Amino acid sequence: MEHVSAVLLGVPYTLLVTVVALAIGAVLGLPLALARRSPLAVLNVPARVVIDVLRGIPPVVWLFIIFFGIGNQFVTLDPIQAGSLGLGLISAAYLAEIYRSGLGAVHSGQWEASSALGLSRTDSMVRVVGPQAFRVALPAASTYAIGLLKDSSVVSAIGVADIVFQATGDSRATGAALAPFLVAAAIYILLGTPLAIASRRMDSRLRMRVAR
Amino acid sequence: MEIVRDPQTRTGSDAVDVRASAQPTDRLEVSRKGPPVVSLKGLSKHYGENVVLDKVDLDVSAGEVVAMVGPSGAGKSTLLRCINLLEVPDAGTVTVGDQCVDAGKEVSAKDAMRLRRTAGMVFQSFNLFPHLTVLRNVSLAQERVLGRSRAEADARSMELLERVHLAHKADTYPARSSGGQQQRIAIARALAMDPQVMLFDEPTSALDPEVGLEVLAVMRELAESGMTMIVVTHEIPFARDVSDRVVVMADGGIIEQGEPHQVINNPQHERSQRFLRAVTER
Repeated sequence: MEHVSAVLLGVPYTLLVTVVALAIGAVLGLPLALARRSPLAVLNVPARVVIDVLRGIPPVVWLFIIFFGIGNQFVTLDPIQAGSLGLGLISAAYLAEIYRSGLGAVHSGQWEASSALGLSRTDSMVRVVGPQAFRVALPAASTYAIGLLKDSSVVSAIGVADIVFQATGDSRATGAALAPFLVAAAIYILLGTPLAIASRRMDSRLRMRVAR
Repeated sequence: MEIVRDPQTRTGSDAVDVRASAQPTDRLEVSRKGPPVVSLKGLSKHYGENVVLDKVDLDVSAGEVVAMVGPSGAGKSTLLRCINLLEVPDAGTVTVGDQCVDAGKEVSAKDAMRLRRTAGMVFQSFNLFPHLTVLRNVSLAQERVLGRSRAEADARSMELLERVHLAHKADTYPARSSGGQQQRIAIARALAMDPQVMLFDEPTSALDPEVGLEVLAVMRELAESGMTMIVVTHEIPFARDVSDRVVVMADGGIIEQGEPHQVINNPQHERSQRFLRAVTER
């Protein structure tokens, strides 16, 4: 039982890092996705490079680079800030690709119908194509979010006191090799399941409304 | 929309006169019947090597219903899509109402939008917005483009849905409607912008023949109300009975045009004879 109370201390940090990283990713992913879709090489080539670099380097390496590199030399970042920023940037790359596939899934006739009605490109995106792309992207985005909840455990490597960090500490302090990690496993499942259920509900509700 | 059609322009021979009056000396003749609502001059479009439209001229006067027929690949749809700049022509000018766009010059997004607003478009695949209710489908552009209030837009939308006999569908999503109903909603959506001309791109081709009839009935009513219409279609009976002029296109150009019965029953051009025989004698 003492393992439980010890490991639970990490929950707020896990949630904090996950939520902040998702927020950063959700916002930065959008311009990245739009740039990636642009017919202009000056936009789509850099966007593609950024996405490939962000996804191509293991998250733990990114965190070290940001925390020890940028965090020490240029600006001071505490582990939570560095962890959220690092995971946020990586999330931006993944979410950009998810957005992009969502936008690509919307039939070109929707753009044409919007243009033919005289809607501006912005209106077409915001009112017509975007909401449909969102529906298509939602399952993939929520799968990513659930994945991030678990994979955020890499922030323990730079000293964020998340669930895994607490479990490791508890294991060292008590000498129990297995119990703290079983507790950690149970907590991740308890945190992840409601998210999965919520996303499934949201998806089927949206699906009902726009069944094709 | 409430254009009162001059009865004179309904007769086929007059329509042909208007069409033939490309020379400036005939301008007076044109203005007597009202200036052309749509005027295409030297319209050309190619994709790589493939010439889709080759210097096409076409004038359509107010209240006139023009049916465009011809084999696929003739350039009919491209011509229609050039009129509201869904395709940007490589050369020539497009005039709709008082909006003129010269393909030789840079076309600004603003000019393109203004021109599109004057032309309503109905697509083969309806292209309703699946995430919006039928009412919102018809109201959205009225609010965003014409600046109508939501109440104004919705009132106008209901009026138009009434007209296509689908007012009872207003609060449902398009997926709940049949193909024929969706196409009628699409017609209402285009009419809501108070266009000066309605463009139909094979509006019944995606529908089974029976359902297509209800769409054609709505289009017929629209034609009778005096709307200027350009209809790309394979529905020869519709072209014959409803249109004022049939235009036959083949290989990127207009090969023959004139009074519907004349063109359909007695085509002069060898290519139109072949095509019309294929569609009427099956």
